[in-house]
Amino acid sequence: MIRRISLIVLLVVIFFGFLYSVIDLEAFFSTYGKDYFFANGYLETGSLNLVTGIYLDYRLFDSLFEAGILIAAVSGVTWISQHEITEKNASFMLDKQITPGLFITFSRMVYPFMLMFGIYVILFGHVSPGGGFQGGAIVATAILILYYIDSKKATSIDKILTIEKILFLTILAVGSISYFTKGTFFTNPFALSASEAVKSIYLITLNVLIGIKVSLGLVAIFTAFLKEGR
Amino acid sequence: MIELVSYLLQIILIVIAISVVIHKRNFTIIILIATFGLVAASLYIINKAPDVAIAEVAIGSAIIPLIYVISISRQREFIVLDRTNDGFIEYGFELSGEGYQILSDFVKEFDLSLNICVDIQGQAKKLIEELNVDLIVTKDNQTNQYVFYGKASSVLMTKLKNQVKDKPHIKIITLKEEKKND
Repeated sequence: MIRRISLIVLLVVIFFGFLYSVIDLEAFFSTYGKDYFFANGYLETGSLNLVTGIYLDYRLFDSLFEAGILIAAVSGVTWISQHEITEKNASFMLDKQITPGLFITFSRMVYPFMLMFGIYVILFGHVSPGGGFQGGAIVATAILILYYIDSKKATSIDKILTIEKILFLTILAVGSISYFTKGTFFTNPFALSASEAVKSIYLITLNVLIGIKVSLGLVAIFTAFLKEGR
Repeated sequence: MIELVSYLLQIILIVIAISVVIHKRNFTIIILIATFGLVAASLYIINKAPDVAIAEVAIGSAIIPLIYVISISRQREFIVLDRTNDGFIEYGFELSGEGYQILSDFVKEFDLSLNICVDIQGQAKKLIEELNVDLIVTKDNQTNQYVFYGKASSVLMTKLKNQVKDKPHIKIITLKEEKKND
């Protein structure tokens, strides 16, 4: 009883704290950042989608940490789900549960379109909504559907983890190219006066790298979950 | 108009969130979570954040429900490793015999699905600790008893013990798990 009362008191305190902080929101509301990005974003980054411009140019530093966090999560999940007994020995878990036939048929129909849409979202991240993370998540969903079609599919998590580490270093390297051309880290290496097509090379490269990395990471986490239950 | 729709969606969001907490059936909850993701994504689009909406749809209503479906369906399996080879569980290629009857009745009572496998080498203790094997059935040739190995911490094992109390040729050994750091 005391526990419940204290919980309710705590929740009420948190709620009023939240209300208090939200009511004062207008005091520090300003459109300075928005106006700046609208006026200069396209010229400085060459990206029609300002969000992509922000996370691949102004704030690439933050994106790098995001990618690093994903790598840490995947390594943690694989480390926890490690087994000393070899996976070959554990092949008994070839799913005895039967996936419904309707589900398999629809998955087969939807799979190519999902893959294509994911790749589209990655490649056109700088002109339309989307980008590396979103497209990578869609591609990962498409790959995960394969597990329902063919449950005997085997994936080596260690290989995926190695590829992910290499990709992370590649993103770091691509981001640092600008140090040699412009003198600052983590920005577009091409000159400000360069045409939109030239600037978009850098954006597309980074988007593709981030997309592959995110999709591999999500697939690795999912595979670890699958193996853990076996 | 669009404001009305957004108010409606916010009310739906609250209703879904409460029903996720209240509901009892796991698979319904997964569907509700997926719906929550979709409604949240449409709210993001109304508030002019299409990038976030795409991420929410892909993660919140596709990948997370998939992971939940996998982990919940794994919980419903009762994995038995058969090492008897004398028709106690598997006779030829057909699943019949006394042991199979006992196990299938037991599994039916708790609404699980039986998964019987053979051909896994290794010590019983290690297999039960490292893999998700629930029960290992072997035969003791000296006393002519069938021995069931299982986890000591599992509630199902104590219930199985009660069920086979009056069968003298079945013996149940529970293995204690060593404490792990994780």
